[in-house]
Amino acid sequence: MQAAAAVPRQAPGFKRAMKFVTDETGRRVAIPFSVQRIVTLAPDLTETVYALGLEDKLAADTTFCDTPAAAKWKPHIGSPQTPSLEAIVAMHPDLVLATTSINRPETADALLRLGISVYTSDPHTVRGMLDSIARMADLMGANEQGTALVAQLKARLDAVHARMAELPLVHVLFVVWEDPLITIGQNTFIADALRWAGAESVIVADQNWPQVSMEEIVRLQPEYILFTENHSESNGDHELNRLRTRPGWKALQAIQMGHMVRVDDEITKPSPGLVGAIEQIARALHPDVFSSGARRESFETQGRMMTELFANVGCERECDFCAL
Amino acid sequence: MRPLTPQRIVGTCALLCGVLFVVCVISLRMGAYQISVRDIVSTLFNAATGRREEIPVEFWQVVFGLRLPRIALGVLVGASLSTAGAGFQALLRNPLADPYVLGVSSGAALGAIVSLILAPHTVGAIQMAAFVGAASTIAAVYFLGRRGGQLDSPTLLLAGIVAASFLSAIIMFLLTMVTGSELRSIAFWLMGDLTAPPPTTNVLGWLGFLFFVFLVAAGAMYTTSSDLNLILTGEQEAKHLGVNVNRVKFVVYIAASVLTGLAVSVSGAIGYVGLLVPHVMRMLFGTDYRMLIPTAAIGGAIAIVLADTLARTVVAPTELPVGAMTALAGAPVFIYLMRRRMR
Repeated sequence: MQAAAAVPRQAPGFKRAMKFVTDETGRRVAIPFSVQRIVTLAPDLTETVYALGLEDKLAADTTFCDTPAAAKWKPHIGSPQTPSLEAIVAMHPDLVLATTSINRPETADALLRLGISVYTSDPHTVRGMLDSIARMADLMGANEQGTALVAQLKARLDAVHARMAELPLVHVLFVVWEDPLITIGQNTFIADALRWAGAESVIVADQNWPQVSMEEIVRLQPEYILFTENHSESNGDHELNRLRTRPGWKALQAIQMGHMVRVDDEITKPSPGLVGAIEQIARALHPDVFSSGARRESFETQGRMMTELFANVGCERECDFCAL
Repeated sequence: MRPLTPQRIVGTCALLCGVLFVVCVISLRMGAYQISVRDIVSTLFNAATGRREEIPVEFWQVVFGLRLPRIALGVLVGASLSTAGAGFQALLRNPLADPYVLGVSSGAALGAIVSLILAPHTVGAIQMAAFVGAASTIAAVYFLGRRGGQLDSPTLLLAGIVAASFLSAIIMFLLTMVTGSELRSIAFWLMGDLTAPPPTTNVLGWLGFLFFVFLVAAGAMYTTSSDLNLILTGEQEAKHLGVNVNRVKFVVYIAASVLTGLAVSVSGAIGYVGLLVPHVMRMLFGTDYRMLIPTAAIGGAIAIVLADTLARTVVAPTELPVGAMTALAGAPVFIYLMRRRMR
């Protein structure tokens, strides 16, 4: 609020040079050519702004934004689902970034009604997230940083993909919530991230966050159980021992064999950190491919994969998963 | 007790309107955006004298874009719910009756959810669908609630409760078909929420229309207030005294249902106000419906504007759903008044 007071008030008749763009939800929005003050309405968007090196332009974020740590010290405009519209107005943003993954459409509608520029991103896949980052970077006048960031993330994804290409997908259960058991639907970006990491959810559902019965999981017998870090504050062994005694869970071979992976929280956000989480899952599910010994043994295979990878560069833009 | 004179009714209402005005001013002053009383006054003055260009953009956005519409909506929703509650309590002769007891909110919720599934991004679709849902439920419950061609209070109550649970079951089923972002909208809607932007850019016209509907429905209910007093002593007694009980019941039923449908379609299901405020007003000003209907309307407005101001400020900049605030603040106030009266 103090920061806002220092900004000179605009005269009401003052018109800025605007361009019209269609955001990812199909809204036609006017956005200034030169964006100087950004407000983000979700942690993943904050992370993207930082990854693009635009933190100086970030006027405020949400109370949920904790990555990177510096984001915690920015002024907050409330939580992503119940932000204070007044607090957003007080920040004099010339661009508000919102996302369908956590914000309510009503928030963007209300801000647009007030004449505030809002761009809503709507990523459903890892590739969609990269495109979204590029588009937002472009809007914020950071075209070059955006291209560089996306290229770097793509290279890391391709490196993971190259090692996974010939391996069968590991069947996993991604636990969003333990009790009641809620997992991910096939259209979420998490499901897509799992495919990049060489895994596939055992549950196929159109709903984004389906509630499933334990019986069904016992029947499907996933090879690995994936938890997010914030889900289990305690250490992994303790969590595993706890589940080994729970009815239903103890009937799962994955639990009996200790096939439980605690995934970095970044998996829950369509942000640059998602790529790190994909790498982590890939390593946990395919330790043999990633260990250095194995790498030497399969040197020849890898070389062939890399050749294929470079041959396929043109194809990657066409389809999401040429190899699958 | 002093006899109820028109002067006393007008005096009490004027007093309550004064309280409502003060509450509105406080609400206009409070919020995440710091704005002084002087700035508010000068903003209002400049707007009233047509000098909009002298108002800083963010003052205009906060005062006219956010706070005033929200206060006006709060007044409307609070007054509607509370008046409807008073009406249903007399109609069903049941102190536990509230605007939602006859399934109106479930019908409205079902309409809202169907619209979110079929046309998720259409502006105004939710409000329209909610109103259609409320109206169809009202009609269905009305026909189910008749016995021997007459509106029978116990039958009506049972029909309403059955309709509400049936509709809730359908809602639960439909919720499994809804994906992430729509589910969020529905969750807020079910809790009661005043933050959704109005469905049209002509906010003034929209609010004017809503207030017109409110005045017609509440006015219709007020014409029956003397008869309601007699019906509350017993339907047979009222009939012997020359009251057309069926007509009164029909008018109250339709008026209270329209008021509920109106409130629910713009704000979702805000609980507690329709139940509590009429009782509080009875404790304060007596049970006479000639006094109760106007005082309940103003009292309901005060309650919602206060609750929404708290919802906006207690954990600022994050906002609470106003429905949570009405229950949180309403219950202790009610218990206090009830205990005090028992002593």
